[in-house]
Amino acid sequence: MALLEVKNLDVRFAVRGGDLIALRGISFSLDKGERLGLVGESGAGKSVAAFSILNLIAQPGYIAGGQILFEGKDLAAMSERELRKIRGNRIAMIFQDPMMTLNPVLTIGTQMVEAIKAHRRISTKDARAIAVDKLRKVQIPSPEKRLDQYPHELSGGMRQRVIIAIALLLDPEIIIADEPTTALDVTIQAEIMALLLDLCEQENVALMLITHDLGVVSQVSQRMLVMYSGRIIEQGPTREIINDAQHPYTQGLINALPQMGEPGARLFQIPGAMPSLKNVPSGCPFNPRCSFVTDKCRSTMPEYVRAGNVEVACYEVERLIAQEQQAREVAP
Amino acid sequence: MLAFLVQRISQAFLVMFVISMIAFAIQDGLGDPLQELVGMSVSMEERDAIREDMGLNDPIYVQYARFAGNALQGDLGISYFYGKPTLQVIAEHLPATLELVIGASLIILVFSVPIGVYAAIRPQAFLSKFFMGISTVGISIPVFLTAIVLIQLFSIGVTIEVFPADTGWGVWLNGALSTDGGLPSYGRGDELTHFFGTWNSGFFSSDGLWHLVLPCVSLASIMLPLFIRLIRAEMMEVLQSDYIRYARAKGLSSGRINFLHALKNTMLPVITVGGVQLGIMVAYTILTETVFQWPGMGLMFLEAITRSDIPLIVAYLMVVGLVFVITNTIVDLIYGLVNPTVKLTGKKA
Amino acid sequence: MMTATVSRWARVRDSFLWYSFKRDKIAIISFIVLLAMVLSAIFAPLLAPTDPYDLAQIDIMNSELPPLGMSGADGAFPLGTDAQGRDMLSTILYGTRVSLMIGFGAVILQAVLGILFGLLAGYMGGRVDAILMRIADVQLSFSTLMVAIIVGAVFKASFGSIMFGEIAIYMLIFIIGVAEWPQIARTVRASVLAEKKKEYVDAAKVMGFRTNRIMFRHILPNTLSPIFVIGTVQIANAIISEAALSFLGLGMPETQPSLGSLIKSGFDYIQSGSWWITLLPGLVLVVLVLVINLLGDWLRDVMNPRLYKG
Repeated sequence: MALLEVKNLDVRFAVRGGDLIALRGISFSLDKGERLGLVGESGAGKSVAAFSILNLIAQPGYIAGGQILFEGKDLAAMSERELRKIRGNRIAMIFQDPMMTLNPVLTIGTQMVEAIKAHRRISTKDARAIAVDKLRKVQIPSPEKRLDQYPHELSGGMRQRVIIAIALLLDPEIIIADEPTTALDVTIQAEIMALLLDLCEQENVALMLITHDLGVVSQVSQRMLVMYSGRIIEQGPTREIINDAQHPYTQGLINALPQMGEPGARLFQIPGAMPSLKNVPSGCPFNPRCSFVTDKCRSTMPEYVRAGNVEVACYEVERLIAQEQQAREVAP
Repeated sequence: MLAFLVQRISQAFLVMFVISMIAFAIQDGLGDPLQELVGMSVSMEERDAIREDMGLNDPIYVQYARFAGNALQGDLGISYFYGKPTLQVIAEHLPATLELVIGASLIILVFSVPIGVYAAIRPQAFLSKFFMGISTVGISIPVFLTAIVLIQLFSIGVTIEVFPADTGWGVWLNGALSTDGGLPSYGRGDELTHFFGTWNSGFFSSDGLWHLVLPCVSLASIMLPLFIRLIRAEMMEVLQSDYIRYARAKGLSSGRINFLHALKNTMLPVITVGGVQLGIMVAYTILTETVFQWPGMGLMFLEAITRSDIPLIVAYLMVVGLVFVITNTIVDLIYGLVNPTVKLTGKKA
Repeated sequence: MMTATVSRWARVRDSFLWYSFKRDKIAIISFIVLLAMVLSAIFAPLLAPTDPYDLAQIDIMNSELPPLGMSGADGAFPLGTDAQGRDMLSTILYGTRVSLMIGFGAVILQAVLGILFGLLAGYMGGRVDAILMRIADVQLSFSTLMVAIIVGAVFKASFGSIMFGEIAIYMLIFIIGVAEWPQIARTVRASVLAEKKKEYVDAAKVMGFRTNRIMFRHILPNTLSPIFVIGTVQIANAIISEAALSFLGLGMPETQPSLGSLIKSGFDYIQSGSWWITLLPGLVLVVLVLVINLLGDWLRDVMNPRLYKG
């Protein structure tokens, strides 16, 4: 059984004049110690997916359907009280902007100790000892001193280290990291990412990494999901997808990477822009930008098909697979 | 911190300087000390001589320097009406006003924080909407009108005989809507306790406290809605922030999130705005004291205006100016102490 | 000409403002009440049964009559009479007229001052900005009501009560306008600073427009909606300030009463049981201020959807 299994998750935003559909039929799983990448443009629903796992979607968002099974128990059906025991304890999160994540008026020590005490009966002294230990693990110099400092006294990189330390405080099974390096200086992005990976590997924590950076995912994750307009359009082993992307959108993303083009040549661009939640086209949401578009694409949403170990939702891929199969059947 | 301190205090001195110039201009423009000192019968020559003696013919800046020098030594002239040093007159009236402000502030503090926080945490609840509706109405009622209505209801009393007296519910409604009255609505009462100096306090006798009820409630009524709205708006904004969502992601209880993480961040702007509002309350004491004939500084000031007691008016301006400047400076300093992100430079990090 | 008006009406009808107005019951009711009050104030001389300024129409024998529904009421005076025998309905109609005139007048004055100084501060920056905003800060920290009371007191002392009474309307407009200008100046300055960063201002500069023209023709129109929101609330504030000043005896004289001076003159009779002389004008004042505040809240919500519903 997978550690975390999301089945057919629907998330909606209740707004005036009906619901906006933010996530539609999201299904994926995460095994113990596995590293999963979640890729897509901003607005594709990556963050909503990340936050909905712990039911932390901002108002007016809500989970409209589906299951989120963690060790077989459905988080989507849990009471707030039960969920609280899992948040930070079994599943920890790392937010995007370390400048905004820590409470500006509370010391680092307070914010670390309270996280431990929320889940364990433990003295403040022992909690501080754990905090110091974890700060040391994320390579923060003189950790004892940091406990009495306020967030604004630390640099952005330092703060993100603190947040990683907080994520590790209670030895969780899963860490969900929502673009953990996007807000940092380019020079320290790689450093923080390497640290996060090392620690996850050391402590055998499963990592769900949300990012718009295909480069990072290709280096970090064993499996990846590609999201577009609130749907997963392609998922499978990272290597297979990077080497041989099936969905036209994923192909576009990969071709848009700088290292794919000739030096000095114009980078590849996918024409058009992702639709906003308010006017998602019928059928496959990618159809207005797709060069393989057919009438079928415009009317109905494609089901997932298998190509190797990759699951992909695209009629063109479906057609190619069918063609291949026919060829194979005719050949012998 | 030191630079911050120096900056705030020098700013306070600058403002005091401007206020003293205004006060001086009023005294110079309106008051003719000669009129008060000598009668009509004194000849022109004698007048000129006295004028020269008093230095009234000196250049304006010399006169201002004299005024400011005297003020620094605590001499703001003699009140025409009381015939006593103006600062002494003010000192006699100050405690009454201070007790009024303290009482009102307590009411504001006790009610605004819980109501504001509740309305922010449960914006859709019936009670929240009720409180917000009441506070919109409250803002629209001038303080003196609240005072008059309170007097009518709780001092004079209201007898309702609109509903039929021959039915049970009619009698009950008449009784429920009628009030007995009887609360004091005039002055501070007779049972004041001498504290020290000129301070006679109403806090230590039941009679003194009863006399405080209506004036304090009236004064609080104008500020309470503002504070409730302010706290609610700030708190709602804080509750949207990333660090609150992060606190939830850590699995903290909603009590700790609301009352530590959110409230502490809410109170920072509330302290600044609130401190300034507390200074503004001094203006409303003039109205409240007028309605209740409360023998404080506000009533004294208004009487000084009708009596054209220029030295007392000027002294009041200086003292109130000083109170404003001191409250604002203290508020800034407290803000600097409470907010960890204000350090040394006095600028937000 | 006809088509122009039609299209303008169509623009109003299709606008978001109109759309949200139609959906907001409180806004509609507030607007209707305000409109009724403004109209009855404008046409007070036609609507009022008597002219309270005309001493010949007053009979002291009619003094302190209660409103209809109470024993001793006189059908000729539906809202009763005051201590001088003046018809309450007429005095309230005329009082509302005075209060509204001062309210609108003061806001027009503070808008002129506020826009001028706000544009100057925001556009010039540097020392002009520093000085103007410092003055505004000090004035605001001193509370506008306090400033108004002091200026009123000084004026009254220097003009004398009788002279002050004669020109009280203009005095009050001046006092409240001067006391409250920083509110609007701050708003204008903030939006000017925001607008200044945008490209069209640079474009206007590059095209060689003069500073004045850039300020008034290009920047000002873009700062109008916050001014509109603040201005609405400021009318309510000005009416309250006027009432407060009049209540303290620093405003309208009893011979030419505003709602505030009606409340003041009635207050002396509240202990003798004649509550209507002070509470009826009080009620009208509260309703007037409340509907303006409610409209202000609604405008703020509509024009600045980022803010929360109040």
